[in-house]
Amino acid sequence: MNRFSFVLRRPIQLIPVLLGISVITFLLLQMTPGDPVRLMLGPKASQEAIEFVRARYGLDQPVPVQYFYYVMNCLRGDFGQSIAFRGPVSGVIVARIAPTVFLILYGLVISLLLTFALAVTAARQRGRWIDHLIRLVCVAGVGVPSYFVGLLLIMGFCLRLKIFPVSGYGPTFINNLGHLFLPALTIGIGVTPILARNLRATFIQQLDKDYAIACRSRGLPESYIFSRHVFWNSLLPTVNLLGVVVAFLIGGTVVVENVFNIPGLGNLLIRGVLTHDQFVVQAVALLLAVGVVISNFAVDILTAILDPRVEL
Amino acid sequence: MDRRVFLKSAALAGFSIATLPATLLRANADGSKILRMGYGSEVLTLDPIKTTYGADILVQGMMYARLLHANPDRTEVGPGLAESWDIADDGKTYTFHLREAKFSDGSPITAEDVAFSWNRMRFQKDSAYAAPFQPLTKIEAKDARTVVMTLDRKFTPFLTLTEIWNTGIVPKAAVEKMGDDAFAKAPVTSGPFKFVELKPGDRVVLGRNEHYYREGEPKIDGVEFRYVPDDNTRVSMLQAGELDVCLAVPAPRMAELKAAGFRADPEPSSTTYDMLINHSAEPFNDLKFCQAVSYGIDRTAINAAVTLGLGTPASSIMSPTLDYFDKSLPVIARDVEKAKALLAESGKTGASFELIQNAGSADEEKAAVLIQAQLAEVGITVNIAKIDSTQAWTRLADGEYQAEMNWWYNETRDPDNALRWCVWGAGDNKSYYTRYNNEMVNKLIDEASGEADNAKRAELYAQIQKIVVDEVAQVALYHPTWLNAYAPSVKGLILNVGLQFSSIGGASLD
Repeated sequence: MNRFSFVLRRPIQLIPVLLGISVITFLLLQMTPGDPVRLMLGPKASQEAIEFVRARYGLDQPVPVQYFYYVMNCLRGDFGQSIAFRGPVSGVIVARIAPTVFLILYGLVISLLLTFALAVTAARQRGRWIDHLIRLVCVAGVGVPSYFVGLLLIMGFCLRLKIFPVSGYGPTFINNLGHLFLPALTIGIGVTPILARNLRATFIQQLDKDYAIACRSRGLPESYIFSRHVFWNSLLPTVNLLGVVVAFLIGGTVVVENVFNIPGLGNLLIRGVLTHDQFVVQAVALLLAVGVVISNFAVDILTAILDPRVEL
Repeated sequence: MDRRVFLKSAALAGFSIATLPATLLRANADGSKILRMGYGSEVLTLDPIKTTYGADILVQGMMYARLLHANPDRTEVGPGLAESWDIADDGKTYTFHLREAKFSDGSPITAEDVAFSWNRMRFQKDSAYAAPFQPLTKIEAKDARTVVMTLDRKFTPFLTLTEIWNTGIVPKAAVEKMGDDAFAKAPVTSGPFKFVELKPGDRVVLGRNEHYYREGEPKIDGVEFRYVPDDNTRVSMLQAGELDVCLAVPAPRMAELKAAGFRADPEPSSTTYDMLINHSAEPFNDLKFCQAVSYGIDRTAINAAVTLGLGTPASSIMSPTLDYFDKSLPVIARDVEKAKALLAESGKTGASFELIQNAGSADEEKAAVLIQAQLAEVGITVNIAKIDSTQAWTRLADGEYQAEMNWWYNETRDPDNALRWCVWGAGDNKSYYTRYNNEMVNKLIDEASGEADNAKRAELYAQIQKIVVDEVAQVALYHPTWLNAYAPSVKGLILNVGLQFSSIGGASLD
């Protein structure tokens, strides 16, 4: 199959994915009882005002009718109104894409650096105490929830050492390297163990392969064998795993954005679900799904770069 | 590019990005004095008539001037946009004389604007909180500086209501030109601050209103009202100097903040925490059963556990901060034997009920668990149901519940709207959805609001408080305080009983 049709195929695959997600999120929110309007108008709002606003947003219509209008509007580029914010969903969401994307990419960079450092050290020192220590840390890392890691980091780096700010998202790129460092580290810590264990295992597997033994028998130094051959041959499984891990990272932002108070999509999704802000939840869920599909696409391309034998 | 060169340079670039000195942080020093507040719920609208939601009320209170102006702790209301006022002898006509004042865009505030603002608050279909203003039937501008309001009966609490947030004055021209929705997103204001920016779900930024009518106010250059949903993060931000004011501090953290030099003293609030009970459903449709529950609960223990002693156990349904609070009412002491006897009399021995609690509220959870344990000793089984607040509200409003943990506060010190809100069966909310309805109480509330004499009002309100406590209109548990913490640089700012920063004009920031 040629590259052109591969690139074309992906957006088409996206259509059923998006439809499925929109139906599921729509139904889930409809099945959980609750009235977004009451929350939006506050506890003391009169019944009359609530009914009036409900009708205005079409919430008194039957569910299939609501869904039908939703899909028709989406096709025209209108993703619905946020009930809580009393405005188009797009207006609420657009400003929140950048912080989340920044956070995910930053978290990815940090977790890759950690992964390589840990996996290379562990594999090169196989069976020694440092290897055991790294494996132990990885097990612990998988077990500790990210909101707890986040709180510990805030206490240490923000309140004691005062190196980083607790919260927020700044106006410039450089600024955000500081603002988002701890949150990115937090989600990075969450996925690093999965990647590092996988990479270490592949390194060790490759170190025992015939070609490595052949190199050794020819008297090549171990460091040369590792950096020249074993390292590159070991990357593929981890890159493929990366596609799955990015979905983890995206999920991780939901918690981490809350702890570090970052005005991103995850934060918006939580409050959207809690307040039954139907179209906000729909739009964020769809956007995150697109993110996962795009990242898998990127992984496929990366695989082809790494392994010239792979045809797209 | 060679594959390896590409990968190596990518790795190098990644490494240098991640290790860039993280101390390259926000530069915030342009010398302007912006007060940064953090709160656990977010601002949803800036139109004062469209909400009764805490964050909205707090922010709108700083944006829109009202006819009367409250002193910082709201013990009294005095001249605001209205310099003076006359009340007709029959007590039904109020004439307000306006001072010369301007909106934040420099246009004059006229009687037309006042009448327009009040008419939309009182009569517009989606006005959320017109309920306290029922006696008001007509609002008109007599001339450029005079507004006349007509009531259908004598109504003593009226003046104090002319200070609450949703009577804030908005410019007629701007609202009519922009339309409600657009205005709410970029409003022209009449209060100490003007609108600068609204980032939905993140923050509202306000700036000094140069045209504000009170000389020399505000002293600070602006307010940044930030949404920080996580309690611990909000406290951390105050500690790290990213906030000047942390609103709604969890009780266990107050002492720690005080020790660290923050001003963290509990501030009086008009709030009552209670267990709402559905008088129209089993098992609370029986007075004896309601009383058994009331005697079975240890309010002192609940107050100690939830507020750590920073609140007071409830004796009346009304908060002690409200006028005419009856000090002679005792806190109902827990009496298990009496509760058991009442339960037997009610014939509902072995009864159980479902107690709804908002998922995510640590305070409600503590109180609910204590109630469950305390009533178990009486022989009543309590099943706690944690559900999210949208669903909880729907069930409450629809009357599809037995008991629910809840709270309410009052905007004024005058108890009229408080009682109409929570025990007046003739109201739109059916006594705060408890379906409690006692004709006698309804009549007494009407009578008290028409009475001008203080002593007589006090007597009537004492009578009402006694009846609703005896009949357990709702199970009042405790009266909390507002728990806020201020950086030492914040001077002269307090939150008053009615959830308003009436002191903001005179507050300063070192």
